[in-house]
Amino acid sequence: MSGLFHRGARRRTSLLAMGALAGREADEAQAHAASCAACAEDLARLRRLRELMALDPLRAAEPPIGAAALLARVNARLEEAAAPPARFAARAAWLLPAGALAAGLAAFLIYRAWPTPTTSPSPAPPPAVVREAEAAVPDELVRRMERTMTREQTARYLDEAQDLLLTVAAPRPCERQSKRVDVEDEAARSRQLLARRALLVGMGGEDVASVRPVLRDVEYVLREVASLPSCAREKDLQAIQREVTRRNLLMKIDLMTRELKG
Amino acid sequence: MEPSDRDLMGRLAQGDREALGPLMERHYRRLYRIALSYLRNADEALDAVQEVFVKAFQAAPRWDPQSDVGPWLTRIAINHSIDRYRRGRRRQVAEAPLEEDAGERDARMTADDPSPERRLLGREVGERIASALNGLPRRQRAVFVLRHYDEMALEEIARTLDMSLGTVKSSLHRAVHRMRERLEGLR
Repeated sequence: MSGLFHRGARRRTSLLAMGALAGREADEAQAHAASCAACAEDLARLRRLRELMALDPLRAAEPPIGAAALLARVNARLEEAAAPPARFAARAAWLLPAGALAAGLAAFLIYRAWPTPTTSPSPAPPPAVVREAEAAVPDELVRRMERTMTREQTARYLDEAQDLLLTVAAPRPCERQSKRVDVEDEAARSRQLLARRALLVGMGGEDVASVRPVLRDVEYVLREVASLPSCAREKDLQAIQREVTRRNLLMKIDLMTRELKG
Repeated sequence: MEPSDRDLMGRLAQGDREALGPLMERHYRRLYRIALSYLRNADEALDAVQEVFVKAFQAAPRWDPQSDVGPWLTRIAINHSIDRYRRGRRRQVAEAPLEEDAGERDARMTADDPSPERRLLGREVGERIASALNGLPRRQRAVFVLRHYDEMALEEIARTLDMSLGTVKSSLHRAVHRMRERLEGLR
C-alpha cells in the first residue's frame, strides 16, 4: 500500500468518524478500515473523541431569548446606530454651555489678575504670567468641568436606571392581553437610557472608568427590558429581576452613584 | 408560500425592517451556537448574533443577490465572533469582569436538565474543548465548528468559507487529529 494512498485513507477515516461522509464514500472508508488495523484503531479513537465531544453542553444550547425579543434588540440597536448625528449634536449642545462657562470663568480670573486702572485711560499690557494663564486656564477648567459633568451625568443615568429597575419589579397588568404585564413605558425608557449611555461612554471614557463594570451590567439589563414587547410575559420580567438580584445591581448602583457624586 | 431568504434580503435592501423577523427566525439558533462555540458565554454570543443581523441589515443594499444568504450570515457570525473574542481577551487583561457562576452558566447553556454528574462532566469537557479549539488555526477551527456544532455538510462548509472541497476535507482531518491529541486522557 503506497504512502500517498494511506494518507488519503487516513483522511477519509477522520471524515468518517466525524460523520461527514455518506453513501459510497462512507462504505469505502468503512471497508478500508476493516482491512487495515492502523485505520481501524484510528477510527475507534476518533469515534471516542466524537462521543466525548457530544457531551459538550454547547451543542444543545438554545438562545436565552426568543426570536421576537432578539428582533426588538436588533431594532433598538439599529435605531441607536442611526443616531450618531443626533448624539454628536447633543454632545456639542452639552459642551457649549461648559465652554461658555469656562470662558466666563477664565475672563473673571484674568480680570482679577489684571492691574486695576488708575489714572491712565489705557492700561499697560498684562504681564507675561497673566498671558500664559489666560492661555492655559480655560483648557484646564474646561477639562475639569467636563469631568465633573460627565460624572454627574453618569450618576444621574445610574439613578434613573435604578429607578427604572425598581419600576420593572412592580409591573401593571396589561389591559390588552390577559396574564401579561404592561412594560411599554419601561421598554421605551430603557431605549432612551441606552442612547444616553452610548453618549456617556463616548464622552468621558476615562472619567467613568471605575464604574464601567456596573455600566456594563446596567446596559445588559436595560437591553433586556428594551427588548420586551409592550405586553410582556411575567416570567420574562422575573428572569430580568433574577438577573438584577444575581448581579447585586441595585446595591452596586447605590455605591457607584455615591462615588460619582463624591 | 413563505418568502425565500433571497426575497427577504431583497426587502432588507429596500430598507424594509419587517423582513428581519422571518430571516432571524430561520437562522438565529444556529448562528447562536456558532457564536457560542467561539465565545463560550451566552450573553456575548447573543450580542454577537444581534450584531450579525444589524450588519446584515446595514449591508443588505450591497449584498449580491446571486449569493446564498445562510453562508453569508454564517461568515459574518464567524468573523464577528473572532473579533469579539479578541476584544474580550484584551479587555480581560485590562479589567476584571464579573464572572458568571459556573452552575448558572450551565443552566443557561443547556436546554435540558442533566444529572449533576453529567453536568459536571459536561462542564469539564466544555472547558477542555474550548481550550483545544482555541489552539486550532483559524481555518481549521471554522471548518471544525461548522461540522461539529452546526452539522453542516462538507460541500456547504466549502461554500460558506469559500474554500475548495479538498481544503475543507484536509482542514477537518487535521483539526480532528489536533483535537484528539489535545483531549487525550480526558476520559
